[in-house]
Parts: sequence; structure tokens; C-alpha cells
Amino acid sequence: MNIYFFWVLIAFLFLSQLLLLLFLSLRKLLINKKEQSITQEYDLLTESFSSYMMDPTDDRFLKEISISSNQTIVLEYLLNHYVAVTKGSANSPQVAQLSEKYLTERYKKQLKRRSWAIRMNTLYFIEDFHMKSLTPLLKEKLQKSFRLDQETQQLIRTLTSLNEPMTLSVLARYADAPVRLYIDVFKRLQLDIQLEELDMALKNEHNNKALKHAAVSYIGMTGLIGFLPRIEEELLSDDEELRIQALKSIQHLQSISSPSLLTPFFHSASWQERMFAARIAGKLQLSRYQEVLSELLGDSVWWVRYSSAEALTQFADGDILLSHLSANHPDRFARDMATQWEASLLGSEE
Amino acid sequence: MMHSFFLLLSSFIIAYLLFSSLSYLGLFAIAFRKVKKENNLVHRESTDVLLRNQNTYPVSILVPAYNEEVGVVSTVRSLLALEYPQKEVIVIDDGSKDMTSEQMINEFKMVQIPFAFRTHIPTAEIIAIYQSSIFPYVRLIKKANGGKADALNAGINLSSFPYFCAIDGDSILENDGLIKTMKPIIESDGQVIVTGGSVRIANGSTISRSKVEVIDLPRHPVVIMQIIEYFRAFLIGRLALSRLNILLIVSGAFGVFNKERVIQAGGYNKNTVGEDMELVVRLHRLLREEKSKQRIEYVPDPVCWTEAPESLDVLKSQRIRWQRGLFETLWTHRKMMLNPKYGAVGMISMPYFLFIELLGAVFEFLGYFIIFGGFFFSLVDPNIALVMFIVTILYGSFISALAVLLEELTLHKYPKVSHLMRLYFWALTEAFWYRPLMVIWRIQGIFAAFRKKAHWGDMKRKGIST
Repeated sequence: MNIYFFWVLIAFLFLSQLLLLLFLSLRKLLINKKEQSITQEYDLLTESFSSYMMDPTDDRFLKEISISSNQTIVLEYLLNHYVAVTKGSANSPQVAQLSEKYLTERYKKQLKRRSWAIRMNTLYFIEDFHMKSLTPLLKEKLQKSFRLDQETQQLIRTLTSLNEPMTLSVLARYADAPVRLYIDVFKRLQLDIQLEELDMALKNEHNNKALKHAAVSYIGMTGLIGFLPRIEEELLSDDEELRIQALKSIQHLQSISSPSLLTPFFHSASWQERMFAARIAGKLQLSRYQEVLSELLGDSVWWVRYSSAEALTQFADGDILLSHLSANHPDRFARDMATQWEASLLGSEE
Repeated sequence: MMHSFFLLLSSFIIAYLLFSSLSYLGLFAIAFRKVKKENNLVHRESTDVLLRNQNTYPVSILVPAYNEEVGVVSTVRSLLALEYPQKEVIVIDDGSKDMTSEQMINEFKMVQIPFAFRTHIPTAEIIAIYQSSIFPYVRLIKKANGGKADALNAGINLSSFPYFCAIDGDSILENDGLIKTMKPIIESDGQVIVTGGSVRIANGSTISRSKVEVIDLPRHPVVIMQIIEYFRAFLIGRLALSRLNILLIVSGAFGVFNKERVIQAGGYNKNTVGEDMELVVRLHRLLREEKSKQRIEYVPDPVCWTEAPESLDVLKSQRIRWQRGLFETLWTHRKMMLNPKYGAVGMISMPYFLFIELLGAVFEFLGYFIIFGGFFFSLVDPNIALVMFIVTILYGSFISALAVLLEELTLHKYPKVSHLMRLYFWALTEAFWYRPLMVIWRIQGIFAAFRKKAHWGDMKRKGIST
């Protein structure tokens, strides 16, 4: 073994590490300096910025930002903070106006950058600041993408938030598009277009399962009670998952036109259907189902027993029923479950 | 004869240390792109989308506690502050001898309930179950002592949600830590069954209300060295293995698991001190045997802060326990070792953990032995001892120093230039004091594996949150 080889090796490594250390320290120094100046300017501009956002006639901020040395970054920070803490800021004309004026060029460039993180952040900001003028560029980008990766998903969300329902048809091109992404799209559409699209999705002319599931789920989530009859129709569907989703939505909507629609589900072969039927019966206090709930208390699946007992607590005489069942139900597990919920009723009254 | 034996041994160890150093570099090259790619993401934005989505899976948070009267309440409080749509917190008092349960009961106005839970996994006797009357989703299980794994299994039995995470009483999870860790699971629509979140050392930094306010370095060199070790392990080892879907460790401090899968695998193993690693290996085994496409993923962004031991005694017992756990896991699953049936887990990560993480200590020890023997007792040619010395520095100090530089290049979490300098120069000292200590303790850990007795690690806590 040649000892000199090792000396040279370690000396070389040490020197290159020192060089790297030097470079990184310098970089850190510069970055810290830049950040400090940005923070200073941010602090300086906060007051006039807030005042401008509340009253656009106070235009001190416009003058100050136009001569700022870190113009775009400071403005981005200010706007980002503003939209994060202010409700209803999505429609603020000042946010749109400021971002369109100062950030459009920067974002156009950033969308073409090689860094994935920068492109992603830009998409988030465009959505938050509602920058409509970038719509054509984003559309072009979406047409060019052929994989539903994270960036394309965010691109779809951003474009939808700029009120472009075409994203739904783009999404339909991907057979594996997740339900959650369709829901994100519905959420971002303007109300009138949203209702139209939900209606189309329920009709399901193109046989898009994920889209239909998303529509049913979204209607429940947001309580669009007008769609109740349509959701109830889905209870008769052949698709088990869709029926479960419909039951879930009815539970959220807290309404059912005819309680007898529920009857078949209490004895369904699917435990999820039994569970949701029990939950709905409880939530809507459908006392005609008290007996079947007592039966389901002895179901073979824990979740069904749990939900049935929980449902019984919703009735005015729930405590008496549960106390009776905890002593007299033929099934041991049912008695345990009844005891647990009876105790929880006592606990909540303490 | 003796001389040629030592010559051979020396050559072998030098080759080993050089090869390990190179493999570290190879692993880092694999991890580099992902770290670099995601580092500049504005995370408030990317997790915001999930937070508003009602289809985000609900999670049960399990807090196993043994004699944690000092920290348990603040841990639970920090968990309540987590941003997550639907969660429950289950504290499992594993037969503590102090006031752990009483603290919980008083603080959260808990009442005893006859909870009807499912026994998926058998555990030591459950004495009582309590529920908070302020936050109904906070529960406490009082059970007979059975060890940490047994406590976690009891928590799994009582949990109602499809995913659970286990968090140690001495760790603080950041507000958006849970949602960040759940992100790969949600986005893969359940194809990811375990995610591990990166854990960082809290000593020196200021944390209040589950938020890290000032990031700073601790004064204590022992803790600084542990930070450097974390860089080395997380940036170089774990991330790369996760990229290849062969990660074997999900840190004891923070991980999210698919409950059904864990129950299917039989829950936590009570007979090892490395129950978290053992479970992950078992899940890997299950996936491979089923030829499943599901996977285990690692989130590089730090989500959880933990208190590192400052005293050498505590550090020693921690390392002995870790090494013992590693040994036990590798032994339990020795069938997977170099078995092509288990794919890359069997062919790459099991050997990696055996030769680098477990036996590395033995080889390094022999290396130090030869250096001393060569310089002072002419056991080998002093020139060879010198080469060994240089290679030991390369392996012990230079790789760690490089890890510090690579952290600065990618994540740069410590804000000041002086932090970087201090970390770098302390890293260079590693081969001269910290590593020899670790090597000895790790060898003790291997011996300890032969004298089994599971117990909770002793940690003198000062508390990390203000």
C-alpha cells in the first residue's frame, strides 16, 4: 500500500471540502443579507400596504412599492400573508390589480423555470392572487402535459379557480384521475357553473365513475340540498360504492324525502351500508327504526354495532333504551356496546 | 504468521471503510434530487389543499407513556393543536409508577367509560379506559405494564380510525406535521401504507405552542455530534433507501401506519426493543410475500422535534438499546437476508443494515485496535497503522463533515454562518472522540442482544417546550 496515495487523497478531500465550505458560507452570507433587506422592507411597507388594502384611495403604498428595490418579492410576501389571513380575499380587486401589475412578468418566467418547486409555488400563488391574465399561458401548459403528476394536478386546480371549467374535460382524459381531484375542481368553480357541472356529472353520459362519485360526495359535503332527489336516485344504483357514497351524502345533508328508502340497507350484505343506514336513522331521529337499530347492536361488524348504539343515543328516550339493552340484549358484544354508549350519555351530562 | 494475519485483517478493514464511504456517497447521490426538488416548496400551500378536503383519512394518534407525568399533558396539548380534519388522541399508560394517569385525568376532566373495543392483538390486562369530558376524542388507557410494544398494541385495539401514528412522550410534532406525513398516503389513494417523518433534535432551539420559533445550535458538543449524526443518517441513508422503496427504519419518534395492514402483520412485537423497525421489516416482508404494489415512504421535511440526551450515560443506554433492536430485527428476519424472493429489501437493505449499521461497529473497533497496536506495540507495520488512521478519519470525520455541507447545500435549516462553521468543525473531530465512544457502546449493544430483557429506555427529561 502506498502511503502517499492516502495522504494525497485525504489532502485533496480536505481541500475540496474547505472550498465547498467557503462557497457555502459566502452563499449563506449573501442569502442572509438579501433576506434581511427583504424583511426590513416588508416591515416598512406593512403599514401602508394594510391601509391601501382597506382604503384604496390611500395610495402611499403604490408610490413606495414602485421604488422598492425588492419589489416583486416583498409584494409577493405581503399579498401571500394578506390572502392567508383575510377571509374573502380571493375576490379582492386590489390583490388582483397589484399582482397583475407587478408579478405577471415574473410568473411567466417562473412557469418556465427548470426548478419544479418554483413552478409549483408559482401555480399556488397564481391561484391565491386570482391572476386571470395568465389563463392563456396556463391553458397552453395544460394542453402540453400528458401525465397527471403533482404539477398537472395543481395546474388543473389553479386554472379552475380562474373559472375555467374546461379542466373537467381535460381531467376526463386521464382514466386514473382520483375522485379527490374532481372534488377539488368542483370546489373551485363559480356557483352557477358548479351546479351545471354537478348536474352533468350525475347524468354521467360519458360513464365516468370517478366524476360521478365526486359529484355525489361533493353535494353531501357542501349541503346542496337541491340535489337530494338525485342523490336518492343513486340509492338504487347497481354500483355498491356509489350507493355507499349516496348514503354518506344523505347523512351529511341530514334529510331524506321518504324514510322508507332506507329500509333495505339495514339488512344489506355490505356492512358499510348497514352502518350508514344506522347513522342516518340516528341523525334524523327516525323512531320507526329503533327496533332495527336494537337488532343491529348485535351485528357481526364492530362499526355497525358502534354506529347503531350511537344512533340510539340521538333519540329522546335513548338512555332508557340503551340501559334496557345493556342488560337484556341476547348478544354479549351488543350489551358491551350499549353499556359504553349509555355511560357516554352520563358523561356528557356531568 | 501473526504479522501476516494482522496485515490481512488491516487490508480487509481498510477496504471495508473505503467501500462504506463510497456507498454513503452513492446513497446520497440517489437522495439528492428529491431533497433538492422539494426543498423550496411553500408548504403552507401544498398542505392547505389537503386540509380542506373532507376525504382526508382520519388518524388515531397513540401516545405510549411510562412514567411520563412531567411531559404527558403538554404532549397531548400539542397534539390537540395539530392541524388535521379528524383525529383522536389515545394515551396508553403502561403501568406507570408515577402520576401519569392522574395528570391526564385531572387536566382533561376524564371520566371512566366502559369502552367496547376489539381485541385485534392480545395485550396485557386493560385496567380502565377514560374519556375526556372536554375533548371527547381524547382517551386514556390504563393497563398493566407490558412494555412499549404492548402499549402500542393496546392503543391499536382501542383506536377507531384506519390510520394511526405513534408519538413518543418526549417529542413535539409541528402543527402541520401530521398532514405533511399523511400527504403521501392521501395522494397515493392508500397505496402508501407507512410514512416516516424526519425527526430533528430540539435542543438549543426555542419551541413554543408546537411551533419552532428560533432554530439554534445547542452548546453541548455531545448534542451537536448527535445533530451531525442525524444529518448523516437521514440525508444519506434513509432518504435513498426510501427512494428505492427499501427503507427499513421508520423512526421511533414519528410514523403513520395503515392499521389494517399492521393488524394483519400481527401488531408490534413485544420481544424486541426495536419494535418500530421490526414492524416495518415485517410489513415489507408481508408486501413482498403478497407481491403487493403498496409501499413505504419517507418524508424528508422535518415534522417532529425530539429531545436528544445530553448526558453520556443516557446516550449510552439509548445506543445500546438501538443496536440491540437492530440486531434482534435482523435476526428475526434472517430468512430475508440475501434472499432474491424479497427483492431489493433482501438484496440491498438487509445487507446494508447488517454490514454497515450493525457490524460496522465491529470493523471500526478492529480498526482502532490496529491503529493503537501499530503505533505503540508494533502489531503491524506503522505505515499500515497510518493508512488505517487516515482511512478512519476519512470514514468517521470526512463523511460527517460532508453530510453537514450537503445539508447546507440542500435544506440549510440552521440560519447562521456560525452554525455552519461550528457544525463543520465539530464534525471533523468525530473520529477522535465521539465515534470511538459510539463504537464501544454499539458493540455492547450486540452483546446485550444475547441477554434479553425488554424495558423502557430511561430518559431524564427536561422538557423541550416552553
